[in-house]
Amino acid sequence: MEHKIEANPDYSILSVKVPSGEKLMVEASSMASMTSNMKMKTKLAGGFSRFLTKESVFINEFTAGESRDGEISIAPGLNGDIQHHELTGNEKFYLTASCFLASESSVTYNTKFQGLAKGFFSGESFFLMEMSGVGSLWFNYYGGIFSVDVVGEYVVDTGHIVAFTEGLDYDISHIGGYKSLFFSGEGFVCRFSGQGKVWIQTKNSMALVGWADQFRRIEKKGKGVSFD
Amino acid sequence: MQFDFIHKPCNTAVKITLQAGETCTTEAGSMIAMDSHLNVDTSTHKRGKRGILKSLKRMFAGESFFLNHYTANTESELWVSNPHPGDMIKVDLLGEKLIVQAGSFVACDENIDINTGWQGFKSLLSGESFFWLSLSGQGQVVLNSFGAIYEIDVDGEYIVDTGHIVAFEESLSFSLSKAGSSWIQSWLGGEGIICKIKGKGKLYCQSHNLMEFGKSLTPHLLPKVRG
Repeated sequence: MEHKIEANPDYSILSVKVPSGEKLMVEASSMASMTSNMKMKTKLAGGFSRFLTKESVFINEFTAGESRDGEISIAPGLNGDIQHHELTGNEKFYLTASCFLASESSVTYNTKFQGLAKGFFSGESFFLMEMSGVGSLWFNYYGGIFSVDVVGEYVVDTGHIVAFTEGLDYDISHIGGYKSLFFSGEGFVCRFSGQGKVWIQTKNSMALVGWADQFRRIEKKGKGVSFD
Repeated sequence: MQFDFIHKPCNTAVKITLQAGETCTTEAGSMIAMDSHLNVDTSTHKRGKRGILKSLKRMFAGESFFLNHYTANTESELWVSNPHPGDMIKVDLLGEKLIVQAGSFVACDENIDINTGWQGFKSLLSGESFFWLSLSGQGQVVLNSFGAIYEIDVDGEYIVDTGHIVAFEESLSFSLSKAGSSWIQSWLGGEGIICKIKGKGKLYCQSHNLMEFGKSLTPHLLPKVRG
């Protein structure tokens, strides 16, 4: 499908031209605007497994009706980058939780359990989304996204992995000696090995949330917050 | 050592390409990705040197107690970013001293000396930190900010709102003043105290103020309940 991504990476918005009769799967509550012939159907896609990957349990299916082409603009809740990836059918593609934005209906997904250690220390969820099939896939995250071609080994800080291709796997380890583990401020890192491509985000929304904590009001127990 | 910035100015990250034998020093916790064969060492001061006192002082300047040193055996890359949205710039130092606002230091090469400076009690009122970092030597420094960074060549006098200074050359000095013709006007205009920069040299400012952004979030955040 013909598409363009504008205003990236800060306030990315994706617009896709949907040919007549074709379908586009879009993450719930991400539609910003569309032509009037686009028909929406909400589906309980994947059921419980989508809940595990921090995605909405519901996915919206947009169909271009009235025998003409439609156009839809999609913007995720978090301001950040959107990337496009074309699946060719003979590879699998892994997305970390809550990165899915949209895909053609020919793309299928599974939920993959990462293992306890990875889920706990990677700064990501316990589950990955395993995408397969043929067609376009769009994913988004907070901050800018860049990709690195990995041959051999590569280190990515926890909480910064967005997606990676089949052929890569990662382990939780640390950089430097034990002094670095405790004092470097990096703590654990994800060490990728194999051959493939990994997408990394430049910023971390959780770090911003953690910083914003100091600006919360303090309320005494039993007394409501007064707004006067 | 080569610095390539991407996604400026809001979601900036920098790719640092190290040649064999080069060492890059970064603020603790700022690495986002790297080649796995980079050697990492964590210390309180320069690589291989101790300096607890310097480190303690640096902590007062809003920086991390520990610094990480990345050394390359072969050509390697290191990606560095700050978790907050904002800009990053590279400054080349040719022996002059650069005074840097608390929390704005990200990385430098091994020829830079990191010290903590004192700008007097006026710092408290200026909306900046009590202590400032002073970077000296001949080499490259990477700074970060909240919002975009812009550069001003000061010759004579220049006015900057409090909380917008990122860094300035040591040849400049600053004093506090009121923005309007009277204190009442200054306060009503929401500008309050301003910084007057004097001298000749480079001044780096940030377009947005992190504390102002934080305060604007307050009404939308859930309150903390204390018993």
